[in-house]
Amino acid sequence: MSSIISGRVTIKFGDDINTDYIIPAYLLQEAWDKKFFADYAFERYSPTFVKTCRSNPDKDNVVLAGKNFGCGSSREQAVYAIQYNDVRAVVAESFPDIFFRNSINNGFCVVRVVSTSEFDLGDKLEIDLSNLVVRKADGTCEAKIMMNEEERDLLFSGGRLGQIKERLRKRLSATI
Amino acid sequence: MLDLGGQTIVEKIVSRAVGKKVNAGELVGVLPIDKLYFNEVIGPPAIANFKDDFDPIFGEVSEKKKRMIPRKVFDPTRVCFIPDHTVPSCSVMVAKGINLMKSFANDQGIRMYKEGDGIEHTVVTEEGFVRPGEICVATDSHTDTVGAIGALGFGIGTTEAEYALAMGEIYDFFVPESYKFEINGDFKQGSCAKDLILHILGTLKEGGCSKHVAEYSGDTIRKMGMDGRFTICNMSVEMSARTAIVNPDQITFDFMEDIVRRHGELGAELEQSMRKVNLTRSDGNAEYSAMMRIEAGTIDPQVALPHSPANVKPASEMNDEVNVVFIGSCTNARHTDLLEAARILKGRRVSKNVNLIVIPASRLVYNWAMSEGILKIFADAGANIESSNCGPCFGKHMGVLSPGDRCVSTSNRNYRGRMGSPDAFIYLASPATAAATAIEGKIVDPRRYYN
Repeated sequence: MSSIISGRVTIKFGDDINTDYIIPAYLLQEAWDKKFFADYAFERYSPTFVKTCRSNPDKDNVVLAGKNFGCGSSREQAVYAIQYNDVRAVVAESFPDIFFRNSINNGFCVVRVVSTSEFDLGDKLEIDLSNLVVRKADGTCEAKIMMNEEERDLLFSGGRLGQIKERLRKRLSATI
Repeated sequence: MLDLGGQTIVEKIVSRAVGKKVNAGELVGVLPIDKLYFNEVIGPPAIANFKDDFDPIFGEVSEKKKRMIPRKVFDPTRVCFIPDHTVPSCSVMVAKGINLMKSFANDQGIRMYKEGDGIEHTVVTEEGFVRPGEICVATDSHTDTVGAIGALGFGIGTTEAEYALAMGEIYDFFVPESYKFEINGDFKQGSCAKDLILHILGTLKEGGCSKHVAEYSGDTIRKMGMDGRFTICNMSVEMSARTAIVNPDQITFDFMEDIVRRHGELGAELEQSMRKVNLTRSDGNAEYSAMMRIEAGTIDPQVALPHSPANVKPASEMNDEVNVVFIGSCTNARHTDLLEAARILKGRRVSKNVNLIVIPASRLVYNWAMSEGILKIFADAGANIESSNCGPCFGKHMGVLSPGDRCVSTSNRNYRGRMGSPDAFIYLASPATAAATAIEGKIVDPRRYYN
């Protein structure tokens, strides 16, 4: 993952968007392929989501949200549903741990800033992971990203799979 | 080094797991887990991913060592599979998923429960799979339920579960701060644990406990039976708590001893694990980053209105008509829940406008309710009684809601669309309020059915 993710805010939500809203439960068992869930993202909550994301020719959607984005159920399919609609990042004021960990584990960029009120639909944003700031591309404002180094490194490496494989390889090699 | 700082039960459990004293806010790079369980929602993709991602590693090491290293999970005795969300299977893909779990379990020596054995969080606690003081992860956000026995349970996603299955670890774990809830006094007649947690949710709102573990204490909790503790811990995730916990006490011991009695062969091992329990309680001088005191006697029966579990009002202020009532789920379908509902429904009939669905939390609870005549009370009242599973709370079978339906449910989430149509209305309440509502066809304060 590049250290600067650029994109345009095409979707804006308020507080407490739960994972049932992101992907309804009745679909969860119907596929093991991650991409399946994209077609149904926000089906019952914001039926225009998929069309809006896919009609962006630059495929550089950024979702803006308030507090507690991704609360409720631990379903990781909620991450895939957003990720596979050409969404490059979610910028929100807070994320519950499960959704945050699920996102980072999939190399999906979720960043927390104190307030998203300075940003709006249509804004071109640069999410600068090296310097941990989100800024408007026109330079008019910026917000500090609250993220620790471990989380950032994980995002850079696109998830944790490589690290786990290496640990497993070592563990198995050490067995007699 | 002499360190007189007190620790919360959470800090102690994590310290024991990593073999050194750690406190809230510290980062633990590798956290070994004691137990891991899967339902049939996340189990199948996690198993499929496990095979795709790790089979090549087993193959590669086998080649290097010039002998076969069989593909193996970290420890099959510490993993179990529980198909519970939509069983008996409600679609071809669900059936395929359950079969994948069965064959993988068989291949690995993992315990696979049967359809109808119960809802995962109920099964793992009443079967003694998860014990006080343990760290346990599972692919469901309501894993916080196991906190009722003094275990530290976390809901995790598919990827983290797949890695835990291979390694028995989770990574980059921040030891969470604790939010202490001290609840004292006796409940009013007609109010119970569900009303308490709805009251707390109404106060703190959906994000109000985020990043924190909710620790429940005070004499109300000490006197409360295990069923009530399960309910309160279960719904803590609705205020985005990292998880929930109750310090183990005599009631916890009695609960565990009952398991030992039921499972003779487990006895010796269980007793040994229970000896550690005494050590794992919060110190009197432990540090909490937030605290709330509540008088149980001030809480009336509560209802969460559409479309948020935190949108709470007293039942006495409502008279909304409803046409579906669900008594079940991992929140409220254990012994005392069914007993409370049956007490109100005994000798009465469900309103002609209401479809009442009753689903016990486990086969154990189902069989107990059968032998005690409780299922007959529900049947005589005109309820539909189903074998144990998550039921309509998952929004996929056994009572999916239509546009315009109004449902009172004893479950934990009333998000728009949770149980079917986004144009249905879901209210959350206690088993007593749900039973009274089923009789009257509108939401009522259950206290009129006491005395």
